[in-house]
Amino acid sequence: MSLLERISNLDRRWIYLLAWVFVLFPLLNPLGLPIPISSDAEKWYAYVENEINDGDVVLFTPMYGVSGMPELFPMTVATMKHLLTKDVKIIVVSFWTEGPLVFNTLLTQVNPEDFGYVYGEDWIRLGYIPGSETAMGSLARGIQNTVAADYVEGRPLNSFPVMEGIETGEDIDIIVSFETGTPGTPEWMRQFNAPYGTPQITGCIGVSVSGMIPYVQSGQLQALMPGLTVSAEYEILLERPGLAVAGVDAVSTSHVYIVLLVILGNIAYFLTREER
Amino acid sequence: MSDVLRRIEIPIALTIIATLIQVIPYYVNIPVLDTVASRASNSVLLIVAYATFIGVISILQVHGKRIQRQSEGWYYSILVIGFTVIMALTGLPLPEAGLGVNNNIYNWLFTNVLTPLGGTMYSIIAFFITSAAFRAFRARNLESAIVLVAGTIMVMGNAPLITNLIPPIADISLWIREVPNMATMRGVMIGAALGSIALAVRTLMGIERGYLRGGQE
Repeated sequence: MSLLERISNLDRRWIYLLAWVFVLFPLLNPLGLPIPISSDAEKWYAYVENEINDGDVVLFTPMYGVSGMPELFPMTVATMKHLLTKDVKIIVVSFWTEGPLVFNTLLTQVNPEDFGYVYGEDWIRLGYIPGSETAMGSLARGIQNTVAADYVEGRPLNSFPVMEGIETGEDIDIIVSFETGTPGTPEWMRQFNAPYGTPQITGCIGVSVSGMIPYVQSGQLQALMPGLTVSAEYEILLERPGLAVAGVDAVSTSHVYIVLLVILGNIAYFLTREER
Repeated sequence: MSDVLRRIEIPIALTIIATLIQVIPYYVNIPVLDTVASRASNSVLLIVAYATFIGVISILQVHGKRIQRQSEGWYYSILVIGFTVIMALTGLPLPEAGLGVNNNIYNWLFTNVLTPLGGTMYSIIAFFITSAAFRAFRARNLESAIVLVAGTIMVMGNAPLITNLIPPIADISLWIREVPNMATMRGVMIGAALGSIALAVRTLMGIERGYLRGGQE
């Protein structure tokens, strides 16, 4: 058997082992590879920095479960930190069952009190609302009719100063959503953007990007953060290197590995085609 | 009386009424209808919340039977039932009893069991992708060559190491994302929307009966 045939018939366990090495090595020994800043990161940073003003009401929504955490959690943490440097009202809600638990994990990394935020006065948690898009529509029509009590203290929403004057989707100034699937941006668009014109920025996993682009081009989505690489760029712009910067070397090496495999696989395929 | 209640017109009428209650206030501002729509939506939320219990009962039934019959892998079912019961009990909204979202066991299980397991499941995709990259991404004909080149450029565009060494790769991948991809996705979305409208009209007119008695009269 020729060398090319051997390469062509390489046991997949070797491929898996090398994949493991390409991901694990840079995680254990950070390479500090350069990270060029893309337009996606610049737009996201500029929007949060310049377009979200003091006093704005921000609906902050972690719309993913634990499986999405490796890719989405760093950008959720970075954006929360960025928002907390401003004087905004933050309402945290999720339509994914694990969303509130993801946010609990976020609170182990970011303490709003360190930024002068007081629970109930400057920010509030509504927890998980079951019912997917129907629940989103319901929340848009009447926040306090949809959620009986807050997630942390179990008190009626109208007993919190932060909720004063916030009744419907019309009172929300911006939606900041991090998501892996449905419900997600298309549902937000139908229930908030179309009827109330609520602007939105979305952080999503890499595979969702293609479906998001039409919303960006139509102007319905003000900024998009596609995946871990752009999260790392955003952390650099924020001058707060965090989880994404720590993981982006592994993204680089694993992607280089995939490209090498594609090239090697095709070379072997073409050179052994006639023999077959 | 029972024959009257079995008439197919009743569920069709209910579907039409429920749909119009939601659709009309979306386009026209009629306060009464808005209130009705809001209450109907809230009742859906309650139904979904109740359905959670059906999920728990279903898990207990399915895995209970597997344990009882000692089917293949039955010991995993013990773990499923065990963790379901522990998470359900410790997560009960009774803060005065130390239960609920701040319960230590509940949070520990989420952070140290569910989170790494979820991340692991997601990460397994990486192994399949690498294997597919080597075995399946082949330029067998013109169409597959186009997909292969576009896909490889997209992969390269997402790797800072490559975009730093070859900056035009970032621009090319951005162009692929924002021109051919966007045009295709827009077409898919418009097509799906038109299909949904057609299905809604058919349902409202009582033509589409697939959701009733398996579509039979």
